[in-house]
Amino acid sequence: MPSPHRGEGQGEGQGVKEYRWRMPANWWTRTRHYFLYVAREFTAVPMALWLIWLLYEIKLAGNGPSGYYPPRSAAFLAFSAVVLLFALYHSYTFLKLAGVIIRVKVLDRSIPPRVIVMAMFGAWAAASVVVGFVLIWFAR
Amino acid sequence: MSQQQARRPALSHLFFWFLFSNGGVITALLLPVHVLVQGILGPLGIVKVVDQHYDTWIRVLANPLVKLYLLVLIVFAFFHFAHRIRYLLTDFGVHAAKTVPAQVAFYGGAAVVTLITVWILLTTAPIGS
Repeated sequence: MPSPHRGEGQGEGQGVKEYRWRMPANWWTRTRHYFLYVAREFTAVPMALWLIWLLYEIKLAGNGPSGYYPPRSAAFLAFSAVVLLFALYHSYTFLKLAGVIIRVKVLDRSIPPRVIVMAMFGAWAAASVVVGFVLIWFAR
Repeated sequence: MSQQQARRPALSHLFFWFLFSNGGVITALLLPVHVLVQGILGPLGIVKVVDQHYDTWIRVLANPLVKLYLLVLIVFAFFHFAHRIRYLLTDFGVHAAKTVPAQVAFYGGAAVVTLITVWILLTTAPIGS
């Protein structure tokens, strides 16, 4: 079975002698660049927790009107505020990255990465407006 | 052996990277507004939000399009998370995160979340009820 991270790892596979990689545990605190990289990758954890909470809230609606209590606690608010910061950082970094990854050619000319990034941020704004509208409009 | 392996396209890599990158875009585009509206504005009472009342929440959840939307959002997100966290562990020197059992655990975990999501969406406000 081919490894899913072929090309991203460092020379793994059969017949290759294992290279023991030793790095100090605090390597990511040394420079701002490394720290921001780890922060970017870590965004997955708080976002996962928030989505698990969303699943729980959906499940809670199955309990009927008497068994449902809407989220209003201060703890939940604080949790959401922290998750929002990570989610925004994920959006900013991931959508900016699209300019590096996505290559679109129109009439044999590549669309500049800046335009692609602007389109991604435009899509983010549009999607936010639509989702926000649905969440608020159907509350009436 | 290793030569033969090198020529084979890494299809599973392609597959999980597809899930990872799409999950990344989907969460980037959609998650912040959910957290802002449902997690902050709604609980603070600044705006009325669907999940603040049982009646409006269950009516929205009964909509098949909403179910499909939530399924796509949650499932892609978790495959994205599984991929990211596995590589983050690798970067922190956890070599076990590269192994096949770790891959099974992480992507299998995302698959379990998928099944749970399908089950919750189908049993909460079932379609046609």
